[in-house]
Amino acid sequence: MLALLFILFAGMAIGCALAVVAQRNPLYSAISLIGVFVSLACLYVMLAAPFIAAVQVIVYAGAIMVLVVFVIMLLNVEQEERRRNRLKFLVPAAVVLAAVLIAEVAFMLQSVANPTPAVSNIGLTGSIGAQLFTRYLLPFEITSILLLMAIVGAMTLARRGGLLSSEARLVPGAQQLPLSMVDPRATPDDLTLVETDSSEEAARLLGVDPRNTERD
Amino acid sequence: MEPQLSWYLALSAVLFTIGVTGVIIKRNVIAMFMCIELMLNAVNLTFVAFASFFQDVIGQLFVFIVMTVAAAEAAVGLGIIIAIFRNRESLDVDEASILKL
Repeated sequence: MLALLFILFAGMAIGCALAVVAQRNPLYSAISLIGVFVSLACLYVMLAAPFIAAVQVIVYAGAIMVLVVFVIMLLNVEQEERRRNRLKFLVPAAVVLAAVLIAEVAFMLQSVANPTPAVSNIGLTGSIGAQLFTRYLLPFEITSILLLMAIVGAMTLARRGGLLSSEARLVPGAQQLPLSMVDPRATPDDLTLVETDSSEEAARLLGVDPRNTERD
Repeated sequence: MEPQLSWYLALSAVLFTIGVTGVIIKRNVIAMFMCIELMLNAVNLTFVAFASFFQDVIGQLFVFIVMTVAAAEAAVGLGIIIAIFRNRESLDVDEASILKL
């Protein structure tokens, strides 16, 4: 019975994983990846890890894949076009090497000791939490620092740059910024040349703080 | 017949190989990103299988930590993808072979 369930969920996982690679539309790949995550969550339940299974569905299939689908929709990704296969002569070598690799893996798996799983409570939320907050507190804290770094990094990447590029600076006197000093990413199409008499006025027009323009 | 440990390891190896293949043959950044997620999940399956068969909770703890790393990777990676798309109007990795924006 359990073996049948394993074959069912393993088949689902492999099929969905193949679909992730085979699909040309990234949106279909994402949906297939959710299928992989859900079938892996079912396998975790079979392995007596209900907490990990729940986190798998909530965090992976829920949060991360929603983010991925959101980005796919936002960028309006087109289908990948088929490209020429330039390395066709390597296909027989690849087949032979893959067969050797599969034989090696099968040989290794033959010799794996097969301990029998006993019914236990190691996968329950309480036992995981007890270990996480006592003996493995340091990895837990490192994880929180990693998440903080990810937040800062994502905000830095998502922030829009100012009108001026990093090479641009205000010089006293008449302000005529060459176009090469203006950040092209932030430039509106109808950019006009404005002459000013002082740095302060130029800074006011550009919307920057004149005290910050002196760079060392 | 009960599922053996080697079955889970074989399934994990297959999923990991499919993920590696995807990273190699895909050119779309988002598709490559999803193949990396697939590889991370294959490793997670190994962790959980060992934790369950050897009655040790450490494996499941590290699955938890790997999931956190994956979440951080998703946040920063998708930010990078959006930044690349904003500059190049394309998601093809060959277009972004020069890291300079």
